[in-house]
Amino acid sequence: MLTYILRRIAATIPVMGLVALFVFSLLYIAPGDPAAIIAGDQATVQQIAHIRASLGLDRPFLVRFGDWLWHVLHGDLGTSIFTNLPVLRMIEQRAPTTLSLMTITLVMSIAIAVPMGVLAAWKAGTWIDRVIMVMAVFGFSVPVFVIGYLLAYAFALRLPWFPVQGYVSLSHGFWPWLRSLILPSLTLGGIYIALIARITRATMLEVLSQDYVRTARAKGVGQREILYVHALKNAAVPIVTIIGIGFAALIGGAVVTESVFALPGIGRLTVDAILQRDYPVIQGVVLVFSFIYVLVNLVVDILYTVFDPRIRY
Amino acid sequence: MGIRRRTFLGASAAALAAPGIARAASVLKFIPQADITILDPVWTTAYVTRNHGFLVFDTLYGTDATFNASPQMVEGHVVDNGGRQWTMKLRDGLKWHDGAKVLARDCVASIRRWGARDAFGATVLQFADEIAAVDDRTIRFRLKQPFPLLPTALGKAASNSCPMMPERLAMTDPFKQVTEMVGSGPFRWNARERVVGSLAVYEKFHGYVPRPGGVASGTAGPKIVHYDRVEWHVIPDAATKTAAMQSGETDWWENPPADNALVLKADRGLVTRVLDPTGLMGCMRLNQLVAPFDNPAVRRVVLDAVRQEDYMVAVAGTDPSMWHVPTGIFAPGTPMASDVGLKRFTEAKDFAKLKTALEKAGYKGEKIVLLLPTDLPELKAEAEVSADMFRRMGFEVDAQASDWGTVVQRRASMKPVAAGGWSVFSTFWTGLDQLSPAGHVFLRGQGKAGGQPGWPSSPAIEALRNQWLAAKDVTTQKELAVKLQQQAFIDVPYIPLGQFFQNTSYKKSVTGVLDGIPVFWNVRPA
Repeated sequence: MLTYILRRIAATIPVMGLVALFVFSLLYIAPGDPAAIIAGDQATVQQIAHIRASLGLDRPFLVRFGDWLWHVLHGDLGTSIFTNLPVLRMIEQRAPTTLSLMTITLVMSIAIAVPMGVLAAWKAGTWIDRVIMVMAVFGFSVPVFVIGYLLAYAFALRLPWFPVQGYVSLSHGFWPWLRSLILPSLTLGGIYIALIARITRATMLEVLSQDYVRTARAKGVGQREILYVHALKNAAVPIVTIIGIGFAALIGGAVVTESVFALPGIGRLTVDAILQRDYPVIQGVVLVFSFIYVLVNLVVDILYTVFDPRIRY
Repeated sequence: MGIRRRTFLGASAAALAAPGIARAASVLKFIPQADITILDPVWTTAYVTRNHGFLVFDTLYGTDATFNASPQMVEGHVVDNGGRQWTMKLRDGLKWHDGAKVLARDCVASIRRWGARDAFGATVLQFADEIAAVDDRTIRFRLKQPFPLLPTALGKAASNSCPMMPERLAMTDPFKQVTEMVGSGPFRWNARERVVGSLAVYEKFHGYVPRPGGVASGTAGPKIVHYDRVEWHVIPDAATKTAAMQSGETDWWENPPADNALVLKADRGLVTRVLDPTGLMGCMRLNQLVAPFDNPAVRRVVLDAVRQEDYMVAVAGTDPSMWHVPTGIFAPGTPMASDVGLKRFTEAKDFAKLKTALEKAGYKGEKIVLLLPTDLPELKAEAEVSADMFRRMGFEVDAQASDWGTVVQRRASMKPVAAGGWSVFSTFWTGLDQLSPAGHVFLRGQGKAGGQPGWPSSPAIEALRNQWLAAKDVTTQKELAVKLQQQAFIDVPYIPLGQFFQNTSYKKSVTGVLDGIPVFWNVRPA
């Protein structure tokens, strides 16, 4: 197992290298010029060229890529063209918000969606199943920003229970921190809950029709034990897979959620950097996100062995 | 249970002292138009950076609400040698935020740095034989010719303003950003608490010496600070900003769009009004290097096709109090504005006639590439109205949608449209940018040498501008401004599209908000 993990971690290095090359190339060929944005409307073409040169943006592709890669290998993601701040510092500043949002969303989504899916499978074909599936379709269909606006209107403006916007750091206390993240997490979790609930239901239906479940029932094992001890554990592999895949959707959704609730997270940092063509920031963020995504997939693979002892690496 | 006399006295004393000790810092929570990503007000013309600049940096002169320059950091000035020598003396007690004294040589270096980047600043340097620090408090300008606009230039409120910095910062390359924020303005920059894209914090600078006497107006007069701390909260979404104002989480929103302003106006706890009466001036730029707009006759037909109301309704809505037409090349209501030649912008248009006129002018069916930015609603609206107008005139229009970042790169291209060039784009400037020919970037005719996308060439406009800069009195300036407008409608360096206004919204409990650009002195809690 340890060898497998080490091999997988080693395999991330060429993956990250390819991601780096891809992102750098994409930005190189994409239209837009940060120097022109910085210089503003009044600037002459000559002034823009001067700024471009001072930022080193006029150097050949390979020189720029080589320079950037060299610094990345030394743990330096570069400096933002606009703010002049180290990219790593900007990411560090933003990471707690996004990590907090994702953690709460993940925990909340699993806590809500898995029991929902199990219940729907248990009561398959009844009105309970239909209600749960309608809710799942709703979660899939309604855009994240619409859910966000509705929640903010209801629970921040009409009923002033939560703040409309902003993030409170955990260092200011657990409840203020949680309070600032409840509405964003519910917003972001909508699609995730729907996804997990549907997969849980489908997988549980399959497992519940297996012989060993029938045998357990015949032996007089209780319904709760059948569902949560025997069936759910065997249904866990696809559920864990979908949680891992859904992580990418969570990253995408975080961009919108952070904008709607004005959370200073990595999602907004990415959007702002793209609009401004702040290349070092875009490259740094994509690299970090890619690394996290690879890591999540590794964790998912390891979890398979926990839920299904037949799987061995 | 009894109470001991000493305990009672101690408790009473503590209670009396408490209000002084425990007074909470007063905080003003402001939502700016965008994040302050660039801190150096000389390095960029972004309006948000200009506003930030006026908190941290002071200027030698200020501009009041009637657009007059008056001494700010300087006590005053003496003009000698027939207007060719200006001697300015700094006020006593001015300090940088690091505690050092503000010296004349700091100011000289600051003026030079600004002059390397700003159009009006470049004019100052062009007129100057020497800018020198005579002693610690005295700055002397020796000029090639009289230049009565010197205080106006040094005190301009439009981008780029002329911020004073310590010499060590001002001596740096003007094409590289200064990120160490040491100014002598009424607020200090709190770098520690900054979260890019979310929060910027300014603290009252207790060493600031406001100008004695007078009334605060625009960027002129005494800059007296009443809040201990000003926080800029960056909120990207307009609906969220509206909700933040309605819930009382923020105190002041710089520029709510028209739709959101309607909601805010209905809120009794808020004041929602126009802050800057000079508004924003829509402008259409035609590329004069490529056909068909290299032909002045074609440009003049387009000029005649523009109905400014169509643009303003698209940009600012149907409430006519939020826009003004017709507008010429200077902001309406300001000293240089005139109505000469503006009737064309309000007349109903006969597109069949315009089509014929276009053919007569020499249009040969060339494709025009219209740059359409999708991420800035006002510019998108302007471009969409233009696209429709051009099509109705008979142009073959290729409206290319992209974000603003792509537009600003594309418009720098001098190539033909088939090789990645362009034909037309629209933008807007603040009215402050179009107060006079001095800082009016679109009112130039230097051709390729000017380096301005569109590359308009008009020796007549350049000659009139030079005469205006040298004019000795306002009457002459006004006469020349009229001639400039007439000439602009012949050579068509750009086409004015109307003036629109932006609301600002703040809590009723916030008072003393000054007209003009958002400034944070004079503002106080009720």
